[in-house]
Amino acid sequence: MANPATQAPPIAAGESSRMPAWASLGAIFGVVSALSILTFGPIGVSGTYPRFVGAILRRIDPAYALGNPYLEKMGSLIKPETMLVVGLLIGGFLASRLGKREQAHTEFIHAGETTKGKRYRDAFLGGLLIVFGARIAGGCTSGHIISGITQLSISGLIFAAGVFATGIMTAKLMQKGGR
Amino acid sequence: MDLIYALIAGVAMGALIQRVRASSPAMIARNLRLENLSIIKFMATTIAVGTILVYGMSLFTTMHFDIKPTYVVGVLVGGLIFGVGFGLGGYCPGTCVVGAGEGRKDALWAILGGVVGALIFAVVFDSMITPLLKLADYGKITLADVLHLPAFGVALGLGALFLGIVYLLPTEVKKA
Repeated sequence: MANPATQAPPIAAGESSRMPAWASLGAIFGVVSALSILTFGPIGVSGTYPRFVGAILRRIDPAYALGNPYLEKMGSLIKPETMLVVGLLIGGFLASRLGKREQAHTEFIHAGETTKGKRYRDAFLGGLLIVFGARIAGGCTSGHIISGITQLSISGLIFAAGVFATGIMTAKLMQKGGR
Repeated sequence: MDLIYALIAGVAMGALIQRVRASSPAMIARNLRLENLSIIKFMATTIAVGTILVYGMSLFTTMHFDIKPTYVVGVLVGGLIFGVGFGLGGYCPGTCVVGAGEGRKDALWAILGGVVGALIFAVVFDSMITPLLKLADYGKITLADVLHLPAFGVALGLGALFLGIVYLLPTEVKKA
């Protein structure tokens, strides 16, 4: 991908003759998502979190885990979705190591994130809210938005509208005071 | 065999997310602030190509469709809560796993937050969440059902609409 030219070619702002990365990568992702529905089912990530919690609780407090209706409903980790999540970890690792090596670092994304501790706090709280919200709705970006709208589901469209409404508001509000 | 297909799909998905920079919280924040629309355009392209392919293939073979039910209030409330977390942390449940694979430390905190969120959810599910799932539940409905049109036709239309929008939208948004 993107062989580093010795000198950046003087392309007028806008598209070069090549497809922009979001378009080619998006088209490939569309094929991957379609092949998933052809072979095993729509891609989805967030259900793996409660399955993981269930797997741990069944070891440390089996009585509670077996009596919890949600953990029982979600079932065991032996599911294609779990392998998908393992794949995400491997894919992220490989793509960041192969080709041009760009060290991933912790990025500060809001005005209030002045220390790494505050960044980790936002990441933790953000992680908590996305999984909690996704479980209420029954899916996340992959399950509801990508797979959902791909299958033309109304729930995916409603979920996406909710996500972008508060997502845009939160990101814009937290920018205040910075830059 | 399903497990192997899913693993392959996951590796591909993780690599694509990493390369398009969707696992970068700073890039997500720029998209949500509508300064750069590359991730939004990436997602819309994925959906457009995906929907045309799946409903095209469905004319010739059986697909493993799995439509999620539309319980309007719960889906919307869940989306609104998700959006706050998405804007706050810059990760979604999948991109933080990709970020962890890349070696981002904050991604590990996001995953930990997700596990805690799932635990809280499991604890309060029976008493607080179940009623929400019954409000305005229309079941597994699609745009094709609502429009009373053939699914492949709707997929072609929606795909063309999304591709048209991403073609017209700028990637870098100039400040007015």
